[in-house]
Amino acid sequence: MAASRRRFVTQKVVFAVLTVFAVITFNFFLFRVLPGDPAVGGLRDPRLSPERVEALRERFGVDNPVFLNFDGGNVFESQYFAYLGALSDGDLGTSFAFRDQQVTTLLGQALINTLWLVVPAQIISIVLGVGLGLIAAYRRGTRVDVSALTFSLIMWSLPTFFLGIVLLFVGTTWLDLPAAGRVTIGAQYTDLWDQLADIVSHMILPTATLALVLLGEYMLIMRSSVVEVLGEDYILTARAMGIRRPKILRSHAFRNAMLPIVTLIALNLGFTVSGAIQVETVFSWPGLGHLTVDAVNQRDFPVLQGAFLLLALSVVVANLIVELIYGYLDPRVKEA
Amino acid sequence: MKRFFRHRLGVIGLAMLLLTVLVAIFAPWIAPYDPYANVTITIADIYQPPSSMHWLGTDDGAKDVFSAMIYGARVSLVVGFAGALISVLVGGTIGIIAGYRSGWLGHALMRFTDFFLVLPDLALLIVLVAIVGQSLRNIILVIGLLGWTTTARLIRSQTLSVRERKYVVRAKAAGAGDWYTLRRHVIPQVLPLALANTVLVVSLAIISESTLAFLGLGDPLLISWGQMLNLGFTRGAVGAGAWWAMIPPGMAIVWVVLAVTLIGNALEDILNPKLGRHHLEPEVAVETPPPDVPVSAEVLFQVRDLSVGFEMPSGVVTAVEDVSFEVSRGRVLGLVGESGGGKTTTVLGALRLLPPNGRVLGGEVLLDGRDLTRMDDAALRELRWNRVSIVFQGAMNALNPVRTVGSQVVEAIRTHDESINQKTALTQAGELLELVGIPRRRIGSYPHELSGGMRQRSMIALALACGPDLVIADEPTTALDVMTQAQILDLLERLQRELSLAMVIVTHDLGVVNEACHDVAVMYGGKIVEKGPVARVFTEPQHPYTRLLLEAFPTLDDPGRRLASIPGAPPLLTAMPAGCRFAPRCPSAFDLCREAEPPLYETSSGVAACFLADPIAVAGARSD
Repeated sequence: MAASRRRFVTQKVVFAVLTVFAVITFNFFLFRVLPGDPAVGGLRDPRLSPERVEALRERFGVDNPVFLNFDGGNVFESQYFAYLGALSDGDLGTSFAFRDQQVTTLLGQALINTLWLVVPAQIISIVLGVGLGLIAAYRRGTRVDVSALTFSLIMWSLPTFFLGIVLLFVGTTWLDLPAAGRVTIGAQYTDLWDQLADIVSHMILPTATLALVLLGEYMLIMRSSVVEVLGEDYILTARAMGIRRPKILRSHAFRNAMLPIVTLIALNLGFTVSGAIQVETVFSWPGLGHLTVDAVNQRDFPVLQGAFLLLALSVVVANLIVELIYGYLDPRVKEA
Repeated sequence: MKRFFRHRLGVIGLAMLLLTVLVAIFAPWIAPYDPYANVTITIADIYQPPSSMHWLGTDDGAKDVFSAMIYGARVSLVVGFAGALISVLVGGTIGIIAGYRSGWLGHALMRFTDFFLVLPDLALLIVLVAIVGQSLRNIILVIGLLGWTTTARLIRSQTLSVRERKYVVRAKAAGAGDWYTLRRHVIPQVLPLALANTVLVVSLAIISESTLAFLGLGDPLLISWGQMLNLGFTRGAVGAGAWWAMIPPGMAIVWVVLAVTLIGNALEDILNPKLGRHHLEPEVAVETPPPDVPVSAEVLFQVRDLSVGFEMPSGVVTAVEDVSFEVSRGRVLGLVGESGGGKTTTVLGALRLLPPNGRVLGGEVLLDGRDLTRMDDAALRELRWNRVSIVFQGAMNALNPVRTVGSQVVEAIRTHDESINQKTALTQAGELLELVGIPRRRIGSYPHELSGGMRQRSMIALALACGPDLVIADEPTTALDVMTQAQILDLLERLQRELSLAMVIVTHDLGVVNEACHDVAVMYGGKIVEKGPVARVFTEPQHPYTRLLLEAFPTLDDPGRRLASIPGAPPLLTAMPAGCRFAPRCPSAFDLCREAEPPLYETSSGVAACFLADPIAVAGARSD
């Protein structure tokens, strides 16, 4: 048992590491090969001083070949390996738009802000989605179920940003909630509670938007997963054993039905990132998504490259975590 | 009804989409203003609320929102369909190759797809559009080229399953070329699913386009719904309270996506109909009062005139009709017949474990004189497993795959006796496993870690957990190899003797009946055709069906005998022949058999439902 478990974990970790490497390489070529290359294109950016241009040329090694150096001497003396080298030092370059700001610093702060938004939204939507999906499946065809299905359908058809705009109109007009940002700028707080209330009031609308979108999806998948599990033979066995329905749902259906949900959460992390980009734009939330959109609009390529790398890497890492949890939930996968 | 309702939604979706397409095509004729025209404006014209001049007010550029909305349909539809076409072509090709070629190529393509699935799609989308430039053509290309992963995964798994099908394997073995096999066998099978998927991809492409435009990455020269929202959002519509500049284009996006999704759901429903019901739906107890018939004391389990049907879209179809049998303590009854004869339905119906569309139509099921069909839920639960338990066939799925065998036995024990603590229950579970020949240390094993025989043994241990009086074994030896079959049968026989259980064995295997049963009931077409002690029925079968079944079965006594199969197939539930149900396949049938249903006649070996057992009927047939 232990050996197969170890093998399973190793296999997953190795695949994740390979994927990380592939993401880094992809990220490098994406920005280097296509037009708009931060090294070459970026050097013509009028916002840069001649000294900065020279420093950049040096750092990117623009005079070297892109991938491998066959001109003699060191094969690894290329732009790609210069990039890998800088990356291993945690150096993602300097922003074009914000003078002298390290991309790493910008990203770090933005990542923390995004987590403030995404983590509560995920927790709320997973708990509610799983619960409501379970009820909808058990009460198939009743009003509860039809309402749940209709809600999911509408959430699916609503673009996230539009839901955000609608909530923005509602929240600012009737509920007197703040429209933008993470805190009130220039606010003077009388005590800690005051400050906390300000932070929470800013969080309500963006978190609600993201949570609603995710909720629709989780509920739908949980429902169909539970319906499928309830058709399995072992549910019939449990019924023949005289176990009460609620207990069957709890101790036989729930864990089996959770398996596809866990996979979905993993696959959906990219989707969560998309949601965060839109929600942060609508509510001017200073997170990774907002930073990415700003960087796109200002053609701030070093920030864009760094942000994309960070987003992709967080999905890979989160995916790995979820897969390891899956291995714990389903005893069968370790054998495979 | 439900099905019709869903399809009606599909029709509504189609109508919504067609309307949008027409609006997009005839935009210049429908729109009251030309949103592309340059007009001189004053500050007062900006963000005008809806009026008779401007049905949906004006936007930040004093343009008519209603007209812009009509023109916006063009971009959404063009990007949606053109983008989806690219995605499906790319994804479909990759999926088919990855599924059809199992070698390195298929593997590499799958890894490639997995890698793309990890990349956050919207982030990649905006990065790419920012790099290649925001023209309509580029946007279509980027959306198309990034949307292929879901299609590829779906088509791959479908292709994999088609490839394994017998006729494809046979075609390839017969020397059919790859291209021929793909074109003739694989693609036609994959295509319907791909169609439903395409609809989904269209909706994704429309959402992607509007999101891009909202983020300021749409084609700046074209009016689209996303761009309208972008302009409203960045130019103070929220602050100005100008909801009319933003809500209508947003609702337009919802409208189209909803239309496309409804069509997709309807297609999926038609192509891939799922059984609507599950095992936990409330069951209905029979309400008619029971007839007053005395029960003899030694009979433990008695089924009287049991009829079971299934609710089908066309109405209730009877699967089991007027079945009666009884089992006394210490006796074993074999319920035998071809598959589709109603054996399993009979026992599931008797214990009220039918699938949700199953109904007990009449009759009684008495356990110690108490009628199971008229009992309330709580009383029935109390009785289950305590008094009657079941050994299901194919123990792989009958045991919960994510729980250990031990925990399932413990659950059975503690469900019915809450005074037993976990530790005692665990000890008892270990003893039960040893009783059925499984080493005690396997108590922590999961079902998939056990062999087929071991799983069947643990199923038997589970069935004995609460010390039942009656055990029903549904095809207990099916799907096991011959050696294991014999072992399981020996185990059942030994346990039945030692615990003096009453037992019903449902099987299609006459060998099992011969070896393990005292009495036998032969079922055909949902009815019992012959019943009696095994020793008598098997030596002097009275019903032609029993005789033919026995002739089809090899014996060691007469190895030289030719085995005869029974020509024809059992009747369908929906097309029961008039008269005797076996008459169309019966070599001895005469006219009467095709007109009237034979009742059960007393015979030398028990009872048989055959006119051959009725001297008057036979004489009548002779005289004709």
